[in-house]
Amino acid sequence: MTNMRNILLIAAVLVALVAVPPFLGLGWQNALVNILIASLFALAFNLLSGQAGLLSFGHAAYFGMGAFATLHLMLAIEDGLSFPTPLLPLAGAAMGLLIGVVAGFFATMRSGVYFALVTLAIAELFHSLTPHLQGFFGGESGISSMRMPWQGFVFGTVLEVYYLTLFWVVLSVMALWAYTRTPFGRLTLALRDNEQRVRFLGYNAHTSKVIIFAVSAMFSGVAGGLQAISNETANYALFSSHISAQVVLQTFVGGATIFFGPVVGAVSFTLFAYLVSDLTRSWLFYQGLIFVLVMLFAPTGIGGVVQHHLRNVRRDDWLLLAGPYALAATGGVLIAGAVIYLTETVAVLFGEEYAVQIRNAEGSLPAYEMFGAWWEPFGIATWLVPVVLLAAGGAILVKSRGNILKCWEKMGREVGEGAHEPAAPGVAK
Amino acid sequence: MTRKTTPRTSALQLTDVTKSFGEISVMKGVNLDVEAGERHAVIGPNGAGKSTLFNLISGLFAVSGGDICLNGRSITGLPPHRINRSGLARSFQITNIFHRLSVFENLRIGVLARHGVRFGLFQPVSRMRAINEETVDILERVGLEPRADHLAGDLTYSEQRALEIGMTLTTGADVILLDEPTAGMSREETAKAVELIRSVTEGKTLLMVEHDMSVVFSLCDRVSVLVYGSILATDTPERISANRQVQEAYLGEEAAT
Ligand SMILES: Nc1ncnc2c1ncn2[C@@H]1O[C@H](COP(=O)(O)OP(=O)(O)O)[C@@H](O)[C@H]1O
Ligand SMILES: [Mg+2]
Repeated sequence: MTNMRNILLIAAVLVALVAVPPFLGLGWQNALVNILIASLFALAFNLLSGQAGLLSFGHAAYFGMGAFATLHLMLAIEDGLSFPTPLLPLAGAAMGLLIGVVAGFFATMRSGVYFALVTLAIAELFHSLTPHLQGFFGGESGISSMRMPWQGFVFGTVLEVYYLTLFWVVLSVMALWAYTRTPFGRLTLALRDNEQRVRFLGYNAHTSKVIIFAVSAMFSGVAGGLQAISNETANYALFSSHISAQVVLQTFVGGATIFFGPVVGAVSFTLFAYLVSDLTRSWLFYQGLIFVLVMLFAPTGIGGVVQHHLRNVRRDDWLLLAGPYALAATGGVLIAGAVIYLTETVAVLFGEEYAVQIRNAEGSLPAYEMFGAWWEPFGIATWLVPVVLLAAGGAILVKSRGNILKCWEKMGREVGEGAHEPAAPGVAK
Repeated sequence: MTRKTTPRTSALQLTDVTKSFGEISVMKGVNLDVEAGERHAVIGPNGAGKSTLFNLISGLFAVSGGDICLNGRSITGLPPHRINRSGLARSFQITNIFHRLSVFENLRIGVLARHGVRFGLFQPVSRMRAINEETVDILERVGLEPRADHLAGDLTYSEQRALEIGMTLTTGADVILLDEPTAGMSREETAKAVELIRSVTEGKTLLMVEHDMSVVFSLCDRVSVLVYGSILATDTPERISANRQVQEAYLGEEAAT
């Protein structure tokens, strides 16, 4: 039953991924390419952090090296090397694997915090060295190349790049899924649970962890290679801690304990960036806020909450839950409105433009425009809006929380650790 | 008693094994000879160094001095996984299992290792028939087949102890070390555990730490008494309990309390 449902769901997603993009605009096609790449990167990362319990803070290194290797292969093709363009991501895979073996060998000598710090240091090493290495990394400006046509494929349009990306991402995701069902995939989970016991069962734990690290780095390299093909350029910024941090945030918001959880996070974050970054400069702040809220109230991530509901809520239960959930959503929207209002107000009042206006108004605080209306900095209405929103939203949330708890009680099941009570995240060590 | 009369060979031989943690000397020259096929108990007061002895034999700690031989070959200084592959498996005093894996998977990890499938990446484990059948076999021997699909962390304490014993069987080792397998069990649970240990160690060599003298009497061929890091005596359970020195050092102490 559930198996059939999963297969149908996956088939539907695949059909949509193949059939829909030709009807989308360039912006959306580009966004989809980025979503696919981010999804693969997050899944590769989660093989290490979620399944093996080794939290890496430096996965940008393998992503970035995959991108540079792919670009160098593209440059070689430009110079006449005959290599099929569609196989370019193999360069990313090979480089990711290579760097992963070396970095993994050292990083996995430690575990927990020390492992995380070593991975962070390795990525920082790349980030600080590469701007000075003209040859391979092209210094600060990086390197660029062009996609060369191959057979009938020109790779001149975003759509062609999209399909190439889709092919590689689907292939890689299938490989990563198959991995979880192999003996080594099961050993990966055992290592997360109890590394010491694994040793006394005849396994060399260090070697095993190096292999896991290298596989994760290899698929990160494929993702980086796909990014290089899409952007046709790469520079040292690929190694920045921002990229390492993004994949951590995406994975945990999506849910590290579920195979497809990281995809949920990658899709949400990439979409969020695409849709919101044009609207407000505070979008990174909102992103951080979402991360904090998810970790506080749903530590198993969005995927964890969804999975908990799929497992525990029967069809007729939804009638019971729909009301309280809608109420909670209303409360959430009101509070979100208040937070956005306050954030944007602060952004205006402490922004550069407004500082100029204050100077022009000789020290008094002039009215400002926001959300298509004019607001007085000391106006009652200006501050009444967020206070009312917060109070109403807060009251509604408190009320609906009680209702939701009662519903779960009535259904005779426990409120999931994913739903409301904090629990140790999947990678706790 | 089922003493073997065939020529005795040592399964495990410790010669002048010492261990100190910093200034503190915990093992003061231990000599111990465990014969192939016997069931051998180590008794001794708390803090005598019994668990440390197991940790030295199994490679968790490096010895400070001396030599340890398994089936005639030195295993001194080898890492735990090499010692396991040489034919020695152990359980832990504090339950040491994979809490978030199913009982079946807990056992299968070891079976995979025994078959040398340590880095299997190209075939789903569900299709490996020999391995899955062997796992079921061990599952049945330790009486956990009704619990096969439960998370190991959800088992009762005594079930977890049985799983611990099962895990020592999976890698095919012929020398088994059990550290206080019946500690914390009720009388009935202990009786069941004793029968389990007796049946699964048939034809193997067993070295176990045990506090309960009645368990030692019913299960073991010989007993070694460890007191403050040295072996006081090694003999049959009957003669050990009649031994004056032992009574003073250990049994008397217990009887008095
Ligand atoms: N890793 C260690 N570091 C320092 N001292 C230890 C360590 N392990 C054991 N000890 C000490 O060794 C002595 C023997 O402990 P142990 O072998 O656990 O005794 P037993 O199992 O006989 O009760 C104790 O005094 C204990 O504190
Ligand atoms: Mg002990």
